[in-house]
Amino acid sequence: MLLDEASEVLEMFKHSFPLSMLFFVPLLIIISPASPVSAAHDFAVYRMQQYDLHGSAYGCRNALVNVEARPLDTTSFTRRCLVTKLMEFTTEKYKELITQNAGGVLILLPDNLTSLKPEEKEHVMELEQELLQEESHLPVYFTPETDELLELYHGLKHSINSDQAGSATQALMKSAGANGFQLIVNGPQSKAMPDFQVVNLQGKLSGYGIEEQLPTVAIVAHYDAFGIAPSLSFGSDSNGSGVVALLEMARLFSKLYTSSRTHAKYNMLFLLSGAGKYNYQGTRRWIEDQLDSSENSLLSDVSYVLCVDAIGNGDSLYLHVSKPPKPGSAGHTFYENLVEVASELSPGTTVAQVHKKINLAEDYLSWEHERFSMRRLPAFTLSHLESQRYMARNTILDTRDNVDTKVLTKNVQLITEALARQIFNLNNSGTPQVFVEGLRVESQVVESWMDYLGSTPRSAQLLDKNSAVVNTLEHGLSRYLKDVQRHVFRSDKRDPEFVFYNGATYQMSAYSVKPAVFDLFLALGISSYLAIVFLVAQIMPRHHMFGYEERLSHEGN
Amino acid sequence: MTFFHFGNCVALAYVPYILVYKCSGLSEYSAFWKCVQAGALYLLTQLCKMIVLATFFPTSDISSDSLDVVGEFLKSTVDLADLVGIHFVMSNVAGKGQLKFLIAGVGWATAELIMTKFWPLWVGARGVEFDWKYIQMSFDSNVSLVQHISTAALVWLYGRTDLNKSFLPVVVTLLGLSCYRPLIVEILIHAVGLGSWTLLLAKAVFTICVGLIALQMYLGLSVSKEVNSYY
Repeated sequence: MLLDEASEVLEMFKHSFPLSMLFFVPLLIIISPASPVSAAHDFAVYRMQQYDLHGSAYGCRNALVNVEARPLDTTSFTRRCLVTKLMEFTTEKYKELITQNAGGVLILLPDNLTSLKPEEKEHVMELEQELLQEESHLPVYFTPETDELLELYHGLKHSINSDQAGSATQALMKSAGANGFQLIVNGPQSKAMPDFQVVNLQGKLSGYGIEEQLPTVAIVAHYDAFGIAPSLSFGSDSNGSGVVALLEMARLFSKLYTSSRTHAKYNMLFLLSGAGKYNYQGTRRWIEDQLDSSENSLLSDVSYVLCVDAIGNGDSLYLHVSKPPKPGSAGHTFYENLVEVASELSPGTTVAQVHKKINLAEDYLSWEHERFSMRRLPAFTLSHLESQRYMARNTILDTRDNVDTKVLTKNVQLITEALARQIFNLNNSGTPQVFVEGLRVESQVVESWMDYLGSTPRSAQLLDKNSAVVNTLEHGLSRYLKDVQRHVFRSDKRDPEFVFYNGATYQMSAYSVKPAVFDLFLALGISSYLAIVFLVAQIMPRHHMFGYEERLSHEGN
Repeated sequence: MTFFHFGNCVALAYVPYILVYKCSGLSEYSAFWKCVQAGALYLLTQLCKMIVLATFFPTSDISSDSLDVVGEFLKSTVDLADLVGIHFVMSNVAGKGQLKFLIAGVGWATAELIMTKFWPLWVGARGVEFDWKYIQMSFDSNVSLVQHISTAALVWLYGRTDLNKSFLPVVVTLLGLSCYRPLIVEILIHAVGLGSWTLLLAKAVFTICVGLIALQMYLGLSVSKEVNSYY
């Protein structure tokens, strides 16, 4: 019977060409590969840092995820993706995931990172540091908690999955009923960017007189930020506050330098350095360029270099030095002035000097001034942080809320005042304040710059020479300073000091799925249903009443 | 989900059609080509309906939650063309007696199944995301098979001269019901707030009732005819 029909169908195709087209075109469509349908949830995820520094690889070397999601209390993570809240995730878990060869981690970040308790902050910072200790092939993603994601998270927590069942049958039954989620990150794998160009922005104010014969003061701040995920690194305190201080100093001193009566006999050199969080690569390259170039540079006989890093919080200012400045030197005068100004203008602020020798054995330099000190240039860093606690300056917790505009304004004022006293040689006590009224540190300016910097992720790999942040900073500098230059540099081709990777932000899709066992059960159910339909149809006597059977067979269901 | 899942859905949707074709005796009469013709007429009818709908019922961009009963009623009225189409199939394509409405019903339903259900299944049921709606859709196609056969039977009954006149209002009512079924379903969704499973169940029960009544009338007719003559 079947063969007859087959030949009938073939006959049909022989005689009618359009009909055979109708038959074959869908067939061709069927054979062609299908594209995946749109998912239930699509959301942006931020990948963990990935970089090479001085030949060692750090962070997450893999970007692609296509595995099922699992909650934290699962025992086996092989080919699974852990979905967890930031506060529940620990270093031990991370190590366990790596040894089990997990397929990925999705970490949900709480809404407001600044409202965490101090011990929670400590936990996050330690976690960030531990995760970046070495390289791993485990894709680690961060994403802010949304209602949909929380739903997914709770759904995962409460669903019973096969891993926790007692017996094999139990496991089979449970997994057949379970709801799962497939997490997928598609797209290109993260790639190294060997031609990545880092920008240093340099500007200067020439002193009164012949420029080459005047002493010079350099003010340096690195403008990039660092956190566990590049797209979450807002780095407001470190080093948004330093950048704001530098811009504000440039503004105020440019005002003074335009009038011949207040034109000091000092050159001022301003540098916004790039890739500072990667062992001050920008500063290192800038110093090399300046000192090794044939023409006489202002930097070679600089009086002192003032680096600013993290001054947006706290009620103290520490002057970090590698070698305490000799009494009588310009640097020492600046420090004395700072102490004096602080006691006059803001008695609550403590100013102290912290002496720490450069440890060449360590991988990382503690402070930016050490780059200068290594080249025997007198330099120091101002910061509200007492020790070189690496964690507090390199965390995603360093958001805009971490900077108090009032404190920052006050600190900028103190530094500017002390600098002015040193430059204009106003050493006797009882000196009136220089920066008052029209020359005041404007808290609105500070605030708007801070808001801008605190709202843009500023990890070094996001800030290439065309990035908006670099352009804005350059524009900001050139408003006050003459001769603003971009120094663009890239890592050495053969022996790269640093390599950045792309792929900071990806799109993750969460699909709700059922396990394969479920389909098996479904197939059993459907075939028994069809068997019943067939049996009913067979039992019906097939005589004159066409159409009798099939109706009954359907109504039988 | 997987290709397996797609296979499940296709089996659920299509195998009953094949079973009906085999077991009802259609295959013994080599009615395949006639069913295809019925399907082609289905396509033609849908085209005409679409032209009418596009001309007289332009879609509004404003999608409101409230139900426009009058508009929907008018739209459902266009579905009367389906009945005309089925009648046309029976009067022009299929030849022999009672086989007529089976051919019309099965051909019509199969064409609808292929046109409206296959592509969503192919795209949806094979995707990564799991959703019960593809299984429901497959079940629904079984229900509509019964629905189309009983509609065809009703149309056939309506055209019979030997039908007891007292049955005529019942036939017309049932035809009206099957024609306005989408509207009734829509109203049910809005008024009672039926979920997808209960809605499917309601459709099945409704269709079975219509089918049973049609079957009863058809049986009465064919029994009386058996007494009278051989067709």
